[in-house]
Amino acid sequence: MIKLNVNDVEHSLDIEPDMPLLWALREETALRGTKFGCGLGLCGACTVHIDGAPVRSCSYPVSAAVGKQIKTIESIGTADAPHAVQQAWIEHQVPQCGYCQSGMQMAAVALLNSNPQPTDEDIDAAMTNLCRCGTYDRIRAAIKSAAKEKV
Amino acid sequence: MGLTRRLFMITGATVGGGLLLGVGGIGAHLLTHNRVGVQRDGHDAEGSTHVNLWMRITSDNKIIVVNPHTDMGQGSATGLMQIVADELDADWSQMQVEQAPADPAYSNGKVFEGFVREMMTPPDWANTLLENGFYRMGDLMKAQMTGGSSAVRFTGWDAMRSAAAATRQMLVSAAAEQLAVPADSLTTEAGRVVHAESGQSITYGELAAAAANMESPDDIQLKSPADYRFVGQPVDRVDVPAKVIANADYGIDAEVPGMQYAAVVTSGVFGAQVESIDNIDDVKANRGVSDVLIVPDGIAVVADNPWRAEKAVRTAEFTREKHANDTLSTESLITGQRAALAGELVSGMSTGEPQAIETSLTAEYLVPYLAHASLEPMNATVWQQDGKLHIVAGVQNPLMAKAHAAKEAGVDLDNVVFHARQMGGGFGRRVAFSMSGDEPLSWLVQAVRIALDTGKPVKTTWSRETDTRSDVYRPMVMAQFEGALADDGKPALWRSRSYGKEMNVAAVAPPYTINNIDVSFADRGHAVPVGFWRSVEHSQHGFFVESFIDELAAAAGADPLEYRLNLVEDNTPAARVLAKVAEMSGWRADADQQGRAMGVAMVHSFGSTVAQVVEASITPTGPKAHRVWCAVDCGVAVNPQAIEAQVQGSVNFALSAALYGKCDIANGGVVQSNFHDYRIVGIADAPAIEVEMLASDSPVGGVGEIGVPPFAPAFCNALAVIDGARRRTLPLL
Repeated sequence: MIKLNVNDVEHSLDIEPDMPLLWALREETALRGTKFGCGLGLCGACTVHIDGAPVRSCSYPVSAAVGKQIKTIESIGTADAPHAVQQAWIEHQVPQCGYCQSGMQMAAVALLNSNPQPTDEDIDAAMTNLCRCGTYDRIRAAIKSAAKEKV
Repeated sequence: MGLTRRLFMITGATVGGGLLLGVGGIGAHLLTHNRVGVQRDGHDAEGSTHVNLWMRITSDNKIIVVNPHTDMGQGSATGLMQIVADELDADWSQMQVEQAPADPAYSNGKVFEGFVREMMTPPDWANTLLENGFYRMGDLMKAQMTGGSSAVRFTGWDAMRSAAAATRQMLVSAAAEQLAVPADSLTTEAGRVVHAESGQSITYGELAAAAANMESPDDIQLKSPADYRFVGQPVDRVDVPAKVIANADYGIDAEVPGMQYAAVVTSGVFGAQVESIDNIDDVKANRGVSDVLIVPDGIAVVADNPWRAEKAVRTAEFTREKHANDTLSTESLITGQRAALAGELVSGMSTGEPQAIETSLTAEYLVPYLAHASLEPMNATVWQQDGKLHIVAGVQNPLMAKAHAAKEAGVDLDNVVFHARQMGGGFGRRVAFSMSGDEPLSWLVQAVRIALDTGKPVKTTWSRETDTRSDVYRPMVMAQFEGALADDGKPALWRSRSYGKEMNVAAVAPPYTINNIDVSFADRGHAVPVGFWRSVEHSQHGFFVESFIDELAAAAGADPLEYRLNLVEDNTPAARVLAKVAEMSGWRADADQQGRAMGVAMVHSFGSTVAQVVEASITPTGPKAHRVWCAVDCGVAVNPQAIEAQVQGSVNFALSAALYGKCDIANGGVVQSNFHDYRIVGIADAPAIEVEMLASDSPVGGVGEIGVPPFAPAFCNALAVIDGARRRTLPLL
């Protein structure tokens, strides 16, 4: 059995140690906010936090997540109480199709947690997720808004 | 649903409560203006040609727009709500939207009428199905379609706006009867009919049932644009909050009791079928695997977890049939296109005496096949329940998708229930038509086959690799140009030959006043499956035309922006967007001291006109676009912030193609497989993009695709200023 702590809930799962965390989250814990995009850690749609750091869960085996704190988009905010990043995402009307945006926001939350006032260069370096709709102008603006909010 | 061909009707609980309002006669009214003069046999007889049931008013005064289009992030649902709210004099808090069911009643003839009124030649795929005139095309094609940048401009501006205005008039008539006062003593505001004299008012919700029995007005009173409160304002999109908290419902998130998961690999050669799976017992021995089967164009493994299915399917060894495409390669296809351009061509446009002018400038351009690469890979969930086939999927035309599924299953359309979902990107990938006759919804067809053959509820999801290699691709196109300059430096000759079945010569011809033009094409198809890719033929020909005009400007020693301005008439959309983009960008024709230069391009597409200036440089790692300015004439800009988003997104979409995008063909299949070799720009690559919409009296134009075509030529034109090299082949890297 693989024991995972996801959003402060303990799960004991009968899964292979090499199953990517993404598929354990989506199918074994029914947390479907984390998305599948490429399976090779290239696009970032599957980004979650492991002990606070952004991780591409599609290529991260569950065995490596045992004993760590896993956080998904579902733990970040709700419709009634959105996170500062989510508020900024709404204010700037960032999403188009929206499919990449849970991973994108997880990357942004992790960035702001470690660097509350990121420069453009910091944003370029940290935000390596892909958005096929090309919402990058607004992602950048929303991160800056959220950073301002946090000061 | 038993929707009958009446203008207005009460359907009560059958569609979730409330008054369902539609429009029929209004369609007829608008359609009398179409210039093609098509026959409308059998439709006029009923006095109600279209049954587009587009809004409901509930007893508690909610106005629900029933949206026949599906969402892929384009924001058209909000635009339709704005139009209806304005014409109905509704309060924004009353407005809601819901997805129309995949039902023939919602097939949108308006979309096709729009193409007709633009005098566009209908796409080939439409022609093949076109038997009874344009009028019935919506029905015939089961075309509940989201594509061609059509939702707001045709469904919204033409049809829903009229329907809402008529509804408002009928609500007023109902109130006049109820209050026993003249209709012209009544006004409407915030979802109520108001009698100012007596201080009485009645909500639309209270009037809706009576209004439904009113005659529809002969003379629909549309609002003056000066009175709009929502149209033209930056309204927040209704789909955004759910997407931000990751509560949007994509096809891939479907959940059905007992659901199993299928993974698919393609045969590897376009059109070739798998004959046998040679290690089937080994594949079946993988944990969780229940079924291993041959499906159209490949093989599938069904398991109790998608990763187990994917892992197992990759271990499968199979034998595929020999196929004519086995030796297909990019090189052979390029050779074929060049040979075709040297052969017999079809004339698309000829003016003046091009044969009398001596050519002084020639150029050959080539752009590759491109995948759509929507971030949500193709997927569909299919199960059988109560004698019906149920499907969850995100598609651009649910009704046609339903028809394709019904055909595969061998059942009647009524025995398929299609649950349309939010799409994680579309860009033309999720339409039910292709240019080559290949089935673009092959993933859906496979999903149906898998569910039927296994008798299980199954979610079939393509890996990124299967998605990249099983697309209907943006066609590779070669184009050859010949030009000459007159004494004043203006083009004296414009000749182009290009490959492909052209459905829109307007995209291939130069948008400039040139005396001698000869545009022809090799009317030939593709062995590679080809389809509709955001901005369709404008994506290739916008690049060709706007690059070659720049070559002529350079040959004339002219400023390329002024050169274009001198070739368009004053006070046209083209002149206005060119002047505007020059102002926005602080246009300069020479590189600055940092080595940054500007390039310009202007393209008409989807009823709109866009000029872009790109500021670029050449860095040690390659060309870089720093800033992009876009001047847009799309007529009434229904939701400016949503339009800005579409144009910004289009620029990045086009940048990915310009820098990285290509699908090479080798041994009958696509070489590229995932985002490492089919790259998409990230935020570090993305330029700062400014968009301005011109105040305009142009007809409402599309906005979802128009930002794509001008980008690549403007970018390459800028690079040519820096190093003098004309870039005639994409991608650049």
